[in-house]
Amino acid sequence: MKNTFNHTPLQSSAELEFAYKVRRALDEQVSSLPASTTDRLAAARKLAIARKKPETALYATAPERRLAGVAGSARGGNPFNDSLSWMVRVGIIIPLIVLVVGAFGIYKYEEARRIDELADLDAAVLSDELPLNAYLDHGFDTYLNKHGE
Amino acid sequence: MATDKELSEFLESVERRAFKQAIYAVRNEESALDIVQDAMIKLSEKYGDKPKEEIPLLFQRILQNTILDFFRREKVRNTWVSLFSNMVTRTDGNDDFDILENFESEEGSQASESSADKVEREQMLTILDAEIQKLPARQREAFLMRYWEDMDVAETASAMGCSEGSVKTHCSRATSALAKSLKALGIQL
Repeated sequence: MKNTFNHTPLQSSAELEFAYKVRRALDEQVSSLPASTTDRLAAARKLAIARKKPETALYATAPERRLAGVAGSARGGNPFNDSLSWMVRVGIIIPLIVLVVGAFGIYKYEEARRIDELADLDAAVLSDELPLNAYLDHGFDTYLNKHGE
Repeated sequence: MATDKELSEFLESVERRAFKQAIYAVRNEESALDIVQDAMIKLSEKYGDKPKEEIPLLFQRILQNTILDFFRREKVRNTWVSLFSNMVTRTDGNDDFDILENFESEEGSQASESSADKVEREQMLTILDAEIQKLPARQREAFLMRYWEDMDVAETASAMGCSEGSVKTHCSRATSALAKSLKALGIQL
């Protein structure tokens, strides 16, 4: 902001002259504000200064990575710590991969085993001399029970 | 960054004009003082760490926004008041606020030591005050920022949130309206 009365070529000198007179009149008016008003303004100013935002230093924030057993060892700064943090990451990722692959393998193995069992059962039923319909016949059930006794 | 001293000096240099700007807008001394205080605190709390060159423009923006906030709050308050006043019996309110009467009574308190010329000058200033207050809000803001706060067209446009062309138009219309009304009242600045 400038401390001079700004002029632009488009504005007529009469307009500026009038504005200047108004400005002078307004300045005169504010210089004679009542003491109660100026006191309150001064108090407001002091209050505002008391609440001034403090100077903020520029800090680069870096997240700290901490894990059980290696607490505080993964701070950036020197090559040793950097390589350590890399190793820590690999140390987490590899067991995770092994865990996922292992779980998938177990699931597939169990599924294959279950299919084999069902296949064996189906084969046994189908290759039996007794026809399947015999098991649905109540008379045959009675015959088996009597013979079983 | 502006130091405490620089900020204090700036606020001291601008506080009276800010108060007048607020009083032109809200027409109430207490509210105007509150607005200036709020604007000063906001500036200091939120922008106290800014370079001192940026402070004047920021302060004008904050002041204008605080005045707008005041009107928004008033609008909400008036809505509730009118809602309840319809329910209860009406009493004689003093809604018809006459700015000339108001300013004359204020003048009366400090006119004791004046000579004839001084009284005349004071009356002229009172009328000027009233005429500035009668200007449309945007024209008055542009006029005061431009010619009283020494802001250039771009700065005024930025503080008012409008184009530079609008600022020029507002200023020109305000000057013309003010000149006409003072001439009609026979006032010579």
